Amino acid sequence: MFKKTFKGGVHPDDGKRYAKDASYRAYLPQGELVFPMSQHIGKPAKPLVKKGDTVLAGQLIGEADGFVSANIVSSCSGTVKAVENRRTASGAKVMSVVIENDGQYTLAEGIGVERDYKMLGKEEILGSIQKAGIVGMGGAGFPVHVKLAPKNADEIRYIIANGAECEPYITCDDQLMRTKSMELAEGMRILLKLFPAAEGVFLIEENKPEAIAAMEKACAGDEKLKVHAAKCKYPQGGERSIIQVIAGIDLKLGMLPADAGCVVDNVATIYAIYQAVCKSIPLMERGFTVSGDVVKEPCNLIVKIGTNMAEVLETAGGIRDGKEAEKYLSGGPMMGMALADLNVPICKNNNALTVLGEDPVAKAEQQETACLRCGRCTRVCPLGLSPQEMMDAAKRRRFVRYEKKLYGLECIACGSCTYVCPAKRPLMQTFKQTKAEIMAKKRAAQAQQGGAKK
Amino acid sequence: MSKLMNVSSSPHVRSKLTTRHVMCDVILALLPATVMGVYHFGFSALVTILVSIAAAVLTEFLFDKATGKENTITDCSAIVTGLLLALCLPNGVPLYIPILGSLFAILFTKCCFGGLGHNFMNPALSGRCFLLISFASVMSTYTVDGVSSATPLADLAAGNSVSLMQTFLGLNNGVIGCSAAGLLLGGIYLLIVGGITWEIPVSVLVSFTAFIALFGGHGFDVQYLLLQLAGGGIVMGAFFMATDPVTCPLASGGQLIYGVALGILAAVFRVFGTSADSVSYAIIICNMFVPLIDEISIPKPFGYRKRKEGGKKIPTAAIALCVITLVAGVALSGVYKMTEGKIAEQQLAAKAASYQEVCPDAVEFTYDDALTAKVDALNGEVYGTDFGKAYINEVIVGKDASGNVTGYVISASSGDGMEGEITMSVGMAADGTVTGISFTVLNETAGLGSLVGEDAFKSQFDGVKADKFTLFKSGGASAPGEINGVSGATISSSAVVNAVNAAVDFFENDIQQGGN
Repeated sequence: MFKKTFKGGVHPDDGKRYAKDASYRAYLPQGELVFPMSQHIGKPAKPLVKKGDTVLAGQLIGEADGFVSANIVSSCSGTVKAVENRRTASGAKVMSVVIENDGQYTLAEGIGVERDYKMLGKEEILGSIQKAGIVGMGGAGFPVHVKLAPKNADEIRYIIANGAECEPYITCDDQLMRTKSMELAEGMRILLKLFPAAEGVFLIEENKPEAIAAMEKACAGDEKLKVHAAKCKYPQGGERSIIQVIAGIDLKLGMLPADAGCVVDNVATIYAIYQAVCKSIPLMERGFTVSGDVVKEPCNLIVKIGTNMAEVLETAGGIRDGKEAEKYLSGGPMMGMALADLNVPICKNNNALTVLGEDPVAKAEQQETACLRCGRCTRVCPLGLSPQEMMDAAKRRRFVRYEKKLYGLECIACGSCTYVCPAKRPLMQTFKQTKAEIMAKKRAAQAQQGGAKK
Repeated sequence: MSKLMNVSSSPHVRSKLTTRHVMCDVILALLPATVMGVYHFGFSALVTILVSIAAAVLTEFLFDKATGKENTITDCSAIVTGLLLALCLPNGVPLYIPILGSLFAILFTKCCFGGLGHNFMNPALSGRCFLLISFASVMSTYTVDGVSSATPLADLAAGNSVSLMQTFLGLNNGVIGCSAAGLLLGGIYLLIVGGITWEIPVSVLVSFTAFIALFGGHGFDVQYLLLQLAGGGIVMGAFFMATDPVTCPLASGGQLIYGVALGILAAVFRVFGTSADSVSYAIIICNMFVPLIDEISIPKPFGYRKRKEGGKKIPTAAIALCVITLVAGVALSGVYKMTEGKIAEQQLAAKAASYQEVCPDAVEFTYDDALTAKVDALNGEVYGTDFGKAYINEVIVGKDASGNVTGYVISASSGDGMEGEITMSVGMAADGTVTGISFTVLNETAGLGSLVGEDAFKSQFDGVKADKFTLFKSGGASAPGEINGVSGATISSSAVVNAVNAAVDFFENDIQQGGN
């Protein structure tokens, strides 16, 4: 019924061997925790506390500003040390609440109260999810309560739990599915309550047989729950790839998953939903992988949101003796963000710290040659774009051709073309820049038109 | 505070594949054919290959130095060009041939257009075509162990039987890289490692075979088709030349269009063309169309393709292409079949007319078994020692209405023409007087050599009885038996005189004396 995979894609070394079988262990942070008010797509939250306030774990410290925004709760108890701009993994300085952790983790009132979701109405479920400040935990950080309220709720056919984890090195979702399969199945049932016409599908790449087995066991007996083992290929976990595989529909720019009758959520998000609805626990902690070829003890942690990245590297034993780190990545090597230093907090949508002993990008820069037109980029593009032509158009600044003829704005920046290019050309990087430039021009033109009308 | 790390935009990993790997894969894929070539042709082939590679690399190195560019020879692409060119050369060519060829390929086709990735046609093939045009005779002399002989395709065209297995393995005559087996092995390797995609080789080979089957004149004769595939450059072209990434279309659809066009063009040249080389020119011509093909075959991305509801996606482009090819093929073959009989009739009539022209008294032409046997005894080898590369093809006896012999028509050829073979019918009266000559194959340079076909030249032989005709410079002849050459076309004139003399000689020795 479902397809095995999508067209295109690449097979980078998945690096899962480092942390694949490391069971979750909870890590309790020391010292200060930093809570950026923008850990999601949309408007930043408004800080509700000021310097000197005492806070409890689970207490709301940032309130969503508008519908497309998300609450921020404290993950520890302690004293507010500062409300100031702090650097995040993206490199930007963001207004953050800094809390001096008292190490007690005293819970705020009402946290941890068990509830039966079957007794709750749709509004109550959505309300708890919104209150818990849950955002897409796979990377994008889109507020989940928005995603769960599409205009065409009746037409949703598939709720897809994204357990593909196609990004190399990262294994925290794998561990989550292995150890919390029952909770994930329950989480999916909660979502199915919101979308009665839909069925729930767990999409897992074939390189995680234990996770597949665990989820199949958890879903057994429930006709509305399915596990789909997809071929192991990057970017299998991309939203468009998933929808193509499950629903057989090709999304294009401007279309939402809901337009294809799908809602796609990361498995970590589904677990957070379960926690929020059934246990009244807001989003305070998450699974987190520390891995890489030079990490001493690669591990999967349950970390408090706001924990410093340098601390988690330390708890993973630091760098292996005699080795040196060349690159820190928040996330995995395909789409992760390179960190200049580790003094940044873990946000809701950060799932891993990957430390590499050598920087393939620096090496690639030395190996760059002219394009051979070998066509490998065209063959691997999961969207069927023509990166070679796009690069040419971008370099010549032929933006109309880039957008209209080559559909260049469709690029999802998965990086497959850059990965595979034998000439080591910075394809995807150029496309990102070009897209930003074209969008900026469009906004400027729009603003001008708006001004003229007045 | 620890040191700051490198930052860069994702992705932070790269495949191990580099430009050099891509090139080395091609070199590796060419090794089986290279080894077969050296094994079969010997040390001289190895020398040609090494000289060609060295010339290619050196040219690129010097160009980079001279223009102050970054040294690009480490990407190994020049080695590929040099090797490919050498594999497309006949064995035993003088060493200036690979040197000039590589120089042209690298300097003019590649470097002058911006180096790797910017050449508008396949460099190795451009080098080969340059050599074919500039050094036609050297490039069409195929020698094995110092003996020159025909290539399997030339043999096949002449109607001789050719061993398929020998041709496939590359143990016949041909270019150094003529081992279809070796090339196929390399091609499959490239397909497996992803150096090339299936679209081009498959579409080239299929369309080429289909066209030969329809119009090659041998129908679906499997042996003949396989020989056409194994001999000549179509395997080399399909797997190594047409697939040169720089000069082939990017997208799958475009590659199919390109491959089909290329296969058909190569087949057209091979079936109907006069040049021995079909594939090289077909590829070069198709290279020119690649930007256009690329432009019309930009793939529609995800979400913009039309999908049939419920049904499976049908590769419409491929089907349309097949249908068009099929329709065109059927139409062409229909026309060919309809006109086939007429053409044969006309050819026969033309032959008869030419006999009539040189032997005007006869009304009926027949073969004489004894004479035919004598011609056969010549084995198609060069006739005599005084006439250059002259051949006697056949002898026809002309008779009048009452059956008396009125004369003979001797078909003679000379291989010394400016543009290949010249074939003529020489009419002889029973007493040895030449009654006329008429050309059946004459491809000499228009306006110069072609003038031997004019009456002003031809008629000098008419009604003359001589043991041997002598060629003089234009205006130098005075007596019968002395021939004024065509001004500026000494080679063509001399070829004709030699062929006529061969015919006269054959007449005197084998018809007059043998006959009486």
